[in-house]
Amino acid sequence: MDEAAAVFEERQGIRKILLANVKARATGIGPGLTVNAALALLPTLKLEERNPAREARVLRSLANWSEKFTAFTSIDAPSLLLLEIAGSQRLFGGIKPLRERIIRGLQSQGFYVEVAIAPTPLAATWLARAGKKVCVRDARNLVGRLAPLPIHCLRWPEAICHALKGMGITTVGEALRLPRQGFAKRFSAARLLELDRALGRLPDPRVSYRSPERFVADFDLNEEESDSALLLNVCQELLVKLERFLLSRQMAVQQVEFVFFHLQAPATHLALGCVRADRAVQHWFDLAEIKLDRLMFSAPVIAIQLRGGEGQRFAAETDPLPFCKQERPQRNTSIVHLAERLSARIGDEAVHGVMTVAEHRPQYAWQRRNAFDDVPHCANVPGYQDHPDVSGLLEGIRRTNSIVLQRPLWMLQDPEKLVTEQGIPCYQGRLKLLDGPERLETGWWDGDGIARDYFVACNARGAHLWIYRNRGKDRDCRSWYLHGMFG
Amino acid sequence: MTAYAELHALSNFTFLRGASHPEELVETATKLGYEALAITDECSVSGIVRAHMAAKESGLKKLIIGSEFRLESALKLVVLAQNRSGYAALCRLITRGRRAAKKGSYKLNAEDFRDGLNDCLVLWVPGNQLLLGAEDAWITEVFRDRLWIAVELLADGLERLRLERLQHLGQALNLPLVASGDVHMHCRERRALQDTLTAIREGVTLDRAGFALYPNGERYLRSQETLCKSYPQELLQETIRIADSIQFSLDELHYEYPDELVPKGETPTTWLRYLTETGMRKRWPAGTPDKVAKLVEHELELIRELKYEPFFLTVYDIVSFARSQKILCQGRGSAANSAVCFCLGITEVDPDRMATLVERFISRERNEPPDIDVDFEHERREEVIQYLYQKYGRERAALAATVITYRPRSALRDIGKALGLSGLQVDRLARSMQWWDGQEVDDSRVLEAGLDPASPLIRRLLYLVRQAMGFPRHLSQHVGGFVISNGPLSELVPVENATMADRTVIQWEKNDLEDLGLLKVDVLGLGMLTAIRRSFDLIRDYDGREYTLATVPAEDPLVYDMICDGDTMGVFQIESRAQMAMLPRLKPRCYYDLVIEVAIIRPGPIQGDMVHPYLRRRSGEEAVEYPSDEVRDVLQRTLGVPIFQEQVMQLAVVAAGFTPGEADRLRRAMAAWKRRGGLGPFEEKLIRGMRERGYEEGFARQIFQQILGFGEYGFPESHSASFALLVYVSCWLKRHEPAAFTCALLNSQPMGFYSASQLTQDARRHGVPVRPADVNESEWDSSLERTQNGKPALRLGLRQVKGLSEAAGQVIVVKRERPYTSIQQLLERTALDRRELSALAAAGALKSLAGHRHKVRWTVAGVEEPTPLFPSLDRYEATPMLRRPTEGQDIVADYQSLGLTLGRHPVALIREYLDAWRYVRAADLAKLSSGKLIHIAGLVITKQRPGTASGVTFVTLEDETGCSNLVVWKKTAEEQRDVLLNARLMGVQGELQKEGKVIHVIARKLLDHSALLGELTVKSRNFH
Repeated sequence: MDEAAAVFEERQGIRKILLANVKARATGIGPGLTVNAALALLPTLKLEERNPAREARVLRSLANWSEKFTAFTSIDAPSLLLLEIAGSQRLFGGIKPLRERIIRGLQSQGFYVEVAIAPTPLAATWLARAGKKVCVRDARNLVGRLAPLPIHCLRWPEAICHALKGMGITTVGEALRLPRQGFAKRFSAARLLELDRALGRLPDPRVSYRSPERFVADFDLNEEESDSALLLNVCQELLVKLERFLLSRQMAVQQVEFVFFHLQAPATHLALGCVRADRAVQHWFDLAEIKLDRLMFSAPVIAIQLRGGEGQRFAAETDPLPFCKQERPQRNTSIVHLAERLSARIGDEAVHGVMTVAEHRPQYAWQRRNAFDDVPHCANVPGYQDHPDVSGLLEGIRRTNSIVLQRPLWMLQDPEKLVTEQGIPCYQGRLKLLDGPERLETGWWDGDGIARDYFVACNARGAHLWIYRNRGKDRDCRSWYLHGMFG
Repeated sequence: MTAYAELHALSNFTFLRGASHPEELVETATKLGYEALAITDECSVSGIVRAHMAAKESGLKKLIIGSEFRLESALKLVVLAQNRSGYAALCRLITRGRRAAKKGSYKLNAEDFRDGLNDCLVLWVPGNQLLLGAEDAWITEVFRDRLWIAVELLADGLERLRLERLQHLGQALNLPLVASGDVHMHCRERRALQDTLTAIREGVTLDRAGFALYPNGERYLRSQETLCKSYPQELLQETIRIADSIQFSLDELHYEYPDELVPKGETPTTWLRYLTETGMRKRWPAGTPDKVAKLVEHELELIRELKYEPFFLTVYDIVSFARSQKILCQGRGSAANSAVCFCLGITEVDPDRMATLVERFISRERNEPPDIDVDFEHERREEVIQYLYQKYGRERAALAATVITYRPRSALRDIGKALGLSGLQVDRLARSMQWWDGQEVDDSRVLEAGLDPASPLIRRLLYLVRQAMGFPRHLSQHVGGFVISNGPLSELVPVENATMADRTVIQWEKNDLEDLGLLKVDVLGLGMLTAIRRSFDLIRDYDGREYTLATVPAEDPLVYDMICDGDTMGVFQIESRAQMAMLPRLKPRCYYDLVIEVAIIRPGPIQGDMVHPYLRRRSGEEAVEYPSDEVRDVLQRTLGVPIFQEQVMQLAVVAAGFTPGEADRLRRAMAAWKRRGGLGPFEEKLIRGMRERGYEEGFARQIFQQILGFGEYGFPESHSASFALLVYVSCWLKRHEPAAFTCALLNSQPMGFYSASQLTQDARRHGVPVRPADVNESEWDSSLERTQNGKPALRLGLRQVKGLSEAAGQVIVVKRERPYTSIQQLLERTALDRRELSALAAAGALKSLAGHRHKVRWTVAGVEEPTPLFPSLDRYEATPMLRRPTEGQDIVADYQSLGLTLGRHPVALIREYLDAWRYVRAADLAKLSSGKLIHIAGLVITKQRPGTASGVTFVTLEDETGCSNLVVWKKTAEEQRDVLLNARLMGVQGELQKEGKVIHVIARKLLDHSALLGELTVKSRNFH
């Protein structure tokens, strides 16, 4: 925390500070300030955008964690957990020790915590928001405890808070003193009922949080076993169970893990992953088979456990209609599976795909990419001929009309310097320049710019080569390089 | 070597394609020895006047005017104007294409070329589509014998093939071939910028721009040697043949005035004389003074000689229309202060009153068109504009354009994005270019934004930003420069759509028009005219006294007393901080003093260090000496210090031997020297000229420095003279009719320097009773009410109520036959919606109906919209006990809703805290001695950082006793920038500095006490 930092949120195109650390606050940066204004105050401010998905994940994991204290946890996004502790206080030696444990447990995970205890969920919520570290056991005391709270702790819509303030109503107590009918008429009956629920005059049922289900299944072998065929059979049986489990929940998983237990040695773990969440037995089995084949067990196996990864909603695969134009590069499932199997066999690094890129620089015009990455959305690879804005799309025209640039089919990864005889480049004999120059001067923006004259040349054997010379005044510019060969 | 003429070149007026200024293209073509250069911007001739001027300057052999078009069918043509009639055809074509599409684009297809574009030559640019498509075959018919195939060989690896195929095609179609270069920049070093502009145009980053970029930088003006290597001789020779057949220059353009201004049987000369003489009799019913009569005669003669009558008649017509609609207006400019204009009613500045003003009318030698700008009431200017459109039609009247160019911020944003900087990084950089940073992008600013100025990315960014600065980005409309012609305007210059519906602009700027000697009439809006007219109306309605600009009593010493005290809040021009501080020193005592005052407190004279010498000489501390009689004639009226633009030009003529034409060019160069980095040849010529005429080098240098200081801010005396009249009239109103004047200002907001709050406080300090806005008393506008002593009181209007629409406000007034007695009743009579009722509640305007604000809001929130069946069913409802708002809460609510309070000043409420810190009051400052260290606190009401004051920030603080003025030096400001930027209530420790009646506090330490204000928000007005 040595740097000034702040979290911001973007709403309707305006970026505003949501939270600032101590260092940032010292320079006058605080919630509500626009990012621009904050930067005016402190140009070096470290900024991070708010991530609601991450917050929700954190809150869910805390709900999971809190299950050790109570059977009933409820999440109130974005930052509130409600624990029903009436039932469990005795297990922890009373309310105070329980409260201490919860606070300490959360603090040790690095969270800032406000805890309040009250007979109704809303009262506890409001008290916690107000930062009142109180414990109200008797519902009859609620009115007195809630009355001094400022209205904004209720998180009512801005318009209502504003209207109340305009009438001089700034606390819960003042709101409670307003005539009920008049209050309901002006601020809706729902708000009145909310007050009643907070005071325990009306019930306030909440939805309990349930931790996500994960698949775990064990298979105990009767005796130690090292026959891989038999082990595979067991694995398949477990995978069938997994599939059934997932099918019934409309789910799929992206990772599974087999754990092989030994009597004499620590367990062996085998993790499998795939590109797209899947649940088909056959798919997982194929992968397991390949990997298991190469797995060396340190000892015979006595039990196997299969653990499913976090479940995802299953995306059903539908075949593209035959007459549909390829709009997004759809990946052929069998190719994906092939790549997965190839990678499983020879390693992830050895398998890669090739992609064409709209670039004038030949070395960037096609690129390697990870076989498992989705093809990046590249607007001008397919369909650029139909691009409505013709201005500047020289290359598009170039490709579709009567004169077309020639590019060699085989490009050298690294251009090869050619020997020269009396200034004439040679490659298996002197070369004759057939066409050119094609001048390429571009790419200056990423520090890897080129300025070259390319020529199509041929040698005595009739091989057609693509060669270039750098432009400029230094000596290197007299050198020739081979960059590709025409088929 | 074969001669060459480039027939296809785009300047940066083809926005986001061309990467060089037209001037750069012209200068380079001249240097390379081209026989001719055609500027062929895409469907535009916006850059052509600049090219034309540069061509004259640099001696380019021939400038050809043309334009590139891409038709709907993707066919690309370059059209070149062969002569005046070809130029008219070209302008018509561009107009048609532009008017058919939304602003910034154009749309043309074969149909638009059917009339054949007579007197134009056409190049077909095949690109890589080498065959002429069937849908485009019409061109060989329509442009028979005037069509060429343009061969553009740009090292794309296909040159050999292209040339070969095009030669075949030429034979097949029987069309000649010609070389051209598809030029996008004047030198190949602009390649990076050209790529960047392309990326900006396509809305992508450079690494994603792909094939939208050109593969290389060949689209520049290549040397003839290089061209000879690429092109066959005959193709180069063909360019010369084409260039030779073109005989047209912009110099041939002539302006023809509308002829409906003169009745049958009269000539412009006789009609102008008739109108002038009629006006003369009205101005001087008892007989015209001899001197004036002579002057009029002299001027009419000059006008006749230069054939400027139609121009005067045009302006007269506009002004007569305004007068018939009771729209107040006032002319200014070189010709506006002539006796003829006074007779015609174009100006109210009596030539007699201008005794000290030398004649600066229109000069015979300079052949400069007369300059008349007419200011109208800002809220009614639109009526005048619509009158012009209606009278002359859209074919003959249009607004001049304003070219919007890249400035540091916009350039940083666009280029930063193209280079792939994140929105946040770009924001950081743009943010650090505070509004007071001026033109240059500074390395230290980059550091401040947390980026490394030495990193390659930032170096690229800054390199490109510096190049792109000043590049035109789009055309906007000039504030009010109208061009009116006799024939269709679109044969003179293309007309295109503006952003505003029903507005059209021409493709040229004001400067372009001036360069070509074409005339325009500036129809401008001026808030103060609205306020003055309203003041006159209010006075007339109050007690029947009638005033006009001309009849306000002149030279009233009481008015000058007030001005000398710097008590000028709300008046015209001399109300700014700097002006107020200057008034007690300058002590204006007559009309001409005001003329000087208006011109002297401006960036030009301040930067040229003319203010202090003038003050010293005026107070007699410094003797006035003139190096010669000629100089005395020019400078005597300003005590030897050049203050007006005209004086600088006259000095150049009498002391340095400039011709009037050269002096005019000097004026232009003055405006641009910062951009261009110097006055170039003028510096030498000026100094040498003065030395030769026996002036000392020191004097010459001093004059030169003053000219530089003037820069683009030099203010002409002719404008100052007109403004001074409005200054005087507004001061007279403030002095003698403060209630009416404040009322008029409130009703004309937003305008001027000061907020409604400051204006009403000032009025109350001057003894005007101000009454609150109330549904039972107020009109929509603020109004005057009678008081016991016969002097008017100011009643705030419902227009002050934030969130209340004018329609709702008017309904309240109309339905008020008898007073409203309850909120429910108000609702039933007016059918206001709850939002509007809430706005009234917030403003305290319902106090007479339901009591304090808390009660009113409770009641308003509970009212029920009347239903037809149960119109007034007053249901019983329990009324809660609601706390009365505190004084502080009421003040906060007043500010939030009305922007002002009639209660105590907010600072009064926290005075006891401030006392504890030993803060003094603004009113105490006068009693304290200069040099003393004091503490003072107040609401920050204005912050001003003039570009002229070398980084000084002026801050005005307001407390319950008045305003105090802070001077914050640059160092102090930088050290305590947070407070300076953010404090709403600022405390200051500083040194008191007094000079006569001028009091300043030099700030040492700034403190932010905003927390004391709670929720009160007072918006500071920031100026630069």
